[in-house]
Amino acid sequence: MKIARKAQAGTMQSSDLTVSVEPAEALTVEVESTVKQQFEHLIRKVVDGVLAAHGVTAGRVRITDRGALDYAIQARLETALQRAAGEAP
Amino acid sequence: MVVRLMASADVVRARAFVEAQGLGWEAGCQDLVGAFEGGALVAVGGREGDVLKMIAIDEPHRSGSLLGELVGELMQLGAAAGHDGFFVFTRPPSAGSFEALNFTLLASHGQAALLESGGRFLAWLQAATAARRPGPGGAVVMNCNPFTLGHQWLVEQAAARVPTLYAFVVREDRSAFPFEARLRMVRAGTRHLPNVVVLDTGRYAVSAVTFPAYFLAKGAPVEAIQLELDVALFGGRIAPAFQVTHRFFGSEPGCATTLAYNEAMHRVLPSFGVVPVELPRQEAAGAYISASKVREALGRDDLAGLQSLVPPGTMDYLRSPEGRALVAHLRAARGSTR
Repeated sequence: MKIARKAQAGTMQSSDLTVSVEPAEALTVEVESTVKQQFEHLIRKVVDGVLAAHGVTAGRVRITDRGALDYAIQARLETALQRAAGEAP
Repeated sequence: MVVRLMASADVVRARAFVEAQGLGWEAGCQDLVGAFEGGALVAVGGREGDVLKMIAIDEPHRSGSLLGELVGELMQLGAAAGHDGFFVFTRPPSAGSFEALNFTLLASHGQAALLESGGRFLAWLQAATAARRPGPGGAVVMNCNPFTLGHQWLVEQAAARVPTLYAFVVREDRSAFPFEARLRMVRAGTRHLPNVVVLDTGRYAVSAVTFPAYFLAKGAPVEAIQLELDVALFGGRIAPAFQVTHRFFGSEPGCATTLAYNEAMHRVLPSFGVVPVELPRQEAAGAYISASKVREALGRDDLAGLQSLVPPGTMDYLRSPEGRALVAHLRAARGSTR
């Protein structure tokens, strides 16, 4: 899957997250989180897993997290990727 | 649920709500959102460009999720309008609520705090510090519209007093001369000084144009508060990143805004461990050199007068095809350009 345009998914509510993706040469993942200290590595693990599963190799991925659980991270990121690829959300 | 407020009756209600919350109303928002409960407005927020403003929530609803909903909605609308980062100016006691939404506190001083989401300021700072030289240094922040002998003299004086001088050129393009041209003139006019590093300010400046006053008490000295926040951002974030120990600036005999800015630097910089150094302004032919005099001389096509006000690098630019086109444009717009 290719990140062809800017897209967003999610909300800023507690236990949710906002995912923004945009085209870029290299693949970068930026994580902002209210629980960054404790859980950044676990958030990155989920994000990297979803990106790999969809074969995303380039793009800028920004996560603004407010304590979301794994399935929420996965769902929001997949939605953002589909929007960015131009498929139906 | 947060909805956009577009009908004029809703905007009138929003204004009444914002004012009842003890905030001032600011016209000019591109987006206005709010939340209703039982037909009554309980929360309002607005966005103008990349600044979120007038975010107000009725007291009984404050501990809930409304702030996140308001800010989330405004940021999504802002993203759709092409912005990927946002600033919030607020009262310092409210800063924590925005930090819980992953905003970063950039500066807090007296009655005002500035936060950002999206990390652009910090990304700029990190990129800018690539040009940092080892050891302590000094800084000047200049608009240079255009670069005059007065600016050059200030830079020379400052550079002689510190191991490294960082010369920040204000990026914000609200001046007669575009940023790229101002940067080139500064580079040309400081090339003979090996310890001067010319940088651009990115979005650093707390601009008088974007600084909102809605959260300040009626009659509060808005300009002084804005200037102090700007200086606090420099002192708290930029100076430590570059190990800046001294900030140099020219004394101001004429312009009230610059005078107020100089006073703010004297008041605020020492609390950040930065020494404010005010240097007397350079004179030419018995009068102070200022960029506005240069623009006046350009308007009169007074070449001889110009040569006593600007260094050769600036003259070269003014004589270049690009410079001539700009001068012709300035002359046509004379009177409307400050």
